[in-house]
Amino acid sequence: MSSLKKLQDLLHEKYSIDPATLDPDASMLEQGIDSLALAEFLFDIEDRFGIEFPDARADVNSLSGLARLIDEIKAAQTA
Amino acid sequence: MGGLANVIAVTGIGVISPHGDDHEAMFAALMRGESAIHELAGDSPNARPAPVATAAFDPAPWFTPLQLAGVDRVSQLAVAAAQKALTDANAENACDARRIGVYVGCGMGGCAAVETAYVFGLRNGRVPPLSVPASMPNAPAAHVAMRVKATGPVLTYSVACASSAVAIGEAAKAIRCGEVDMAIAGGSEAPIAPGSIRAWQAMQTLALFEPGNAASSCRPFAIERTGFALGEGAAFLILESSAHARARGARRYAELSGYGLSCDATHLTKPDATGQQAAIRNALAQAGLQPQDIGYCNAHGTATRIGDVVESEALGALWGKDIDRLRVSSTKSMHGHLIGAAGALEAAITVLALHRSQLPPNANCDNADPACRLNLVRNAGESAPGLGAAISSSFAFGGSNAVLVFQRT
Repeated sequence: MSSLKKLQDLLHEKYSIDPATLDPDASMLEQGIDSLALAEFLFDIEDRFGIEFPDARADVNSLSGLARLIDEIKAAQTA
Repeated sequence: MGGLANVIAVTGIGVISPHGDDHEAMFAALMRGESAIHELAGDSPNARPAPVATAAFDPAPWFTPLQLAGVDRVSQLAVAAAQKALTDANAENACDARRIGVYVGCGMGGCAAVETAYVFGLRNGRVPPLSVPASMPNAPAAHVAMRVKATGPVLTYSVACASSAVAIGEAAKAIRCGEVDMAIAGGSEAPIAPGSIRAWQAMQTLALFEPGNAASSCRPFAIERTGFALGEGAAFLILESSAHARARGARRYAELSGYGLSCDATHLTKPDATGQQAAIRNALAQAGLQPQDIGYCNAHGTATRIGDVVESEALGALWGKDIDRLRVSSTKSMHGHLIGAAGALEAAITVLALHRSQLPPNANCDNADPACRLNLVRNAGESAPGLGAAISSSFAFGGSNAVLVFQRT
């Protein structure tokens, strides 16, 4: 399963948000998920994927951007 | 600032209580003498069971999962109870949002969020990022304000067990001085969390009970009393000036005519009859009433060994030979002690007692302590057709005492 699909599933599980209603390439902040909910979501992603987002990449706030970042971090972990 | 010319109308009531979320049904259950207290098993083998009164509250009708991010139960309860009060008062859009104030009492804030932060932090060093906004004591007031779009003063009072009596009294003061036209005033508490329960147990304040008897474990003013049950919930009143209420044709449950404060300034936890008398005296003076004008006292009555005796002494000293004319009950015997929300829930019960001319009982007191010489409401279902005025007392750790006087409209 792709990281994007996992993120969409987590978003649905956590906030009951239907993936079809959220543009994965647009900022989640502009689609009704406020900064507090996003912070909580990022914390859960780190737990779920066993990763830690670097502070320097804190500007990433679209689902597809997060999926790419997760893949980058996991690739670095296994390298 | 005197009495009757400045009375404040109570035009709405909202509760999320151990007896449910309908204030009329809650009052009916109290009148039947029904206890909502039950046993909660210890969180681990080395923890004792505790007597608690929980609110059967489902946040789903009030919040989407997204809206629940960083919202502790204490704020969830507050939003629901405040919204119910506003609806009960038919007060949505009844007033300029800038002229609405929110006054909330809360003793322990989001204590479950604090405990979760510790557990996560100790387990793996990672603390949920919303632990601070979830646990801050003014979160309930902020969430209420956001929900109802109240943009006037939004204040939190943390005065332990007197928190929400103070919130209601300060709200009335703000209306009287013209700062706001309408106030959403009350309190919220959600202290049923493992660390909190253990802390109250360590303080030796929770009632002891045999297995199966938790419901009757809290016995205010009884000779065999051993303490209280920890309760959770929220209660809010809608307050406005009588003129404002009349102008919009609002139903008035009762009038809040007096608010008295004092501090014992003697001991952090040991109550003091002199300090309590001062608060009662101040409240009666503001209402322009004498002790014998008061027909009912919803007592603080925590069922602790010393607290009930001191409160009885305070009432006895003020009422003197008229003490038997004052009917007294501690409804904590049935709904538990809601700490920061206790004053608001008991104020709501006192208002309903006046409105319905009925006195809720002091449950579980078959053997009254001779040191507590009070005319207790012993039986369920007592009516009080002549009841014209009542007080609700809240006496806090820290020595702060708050008393509210309500009168029939």
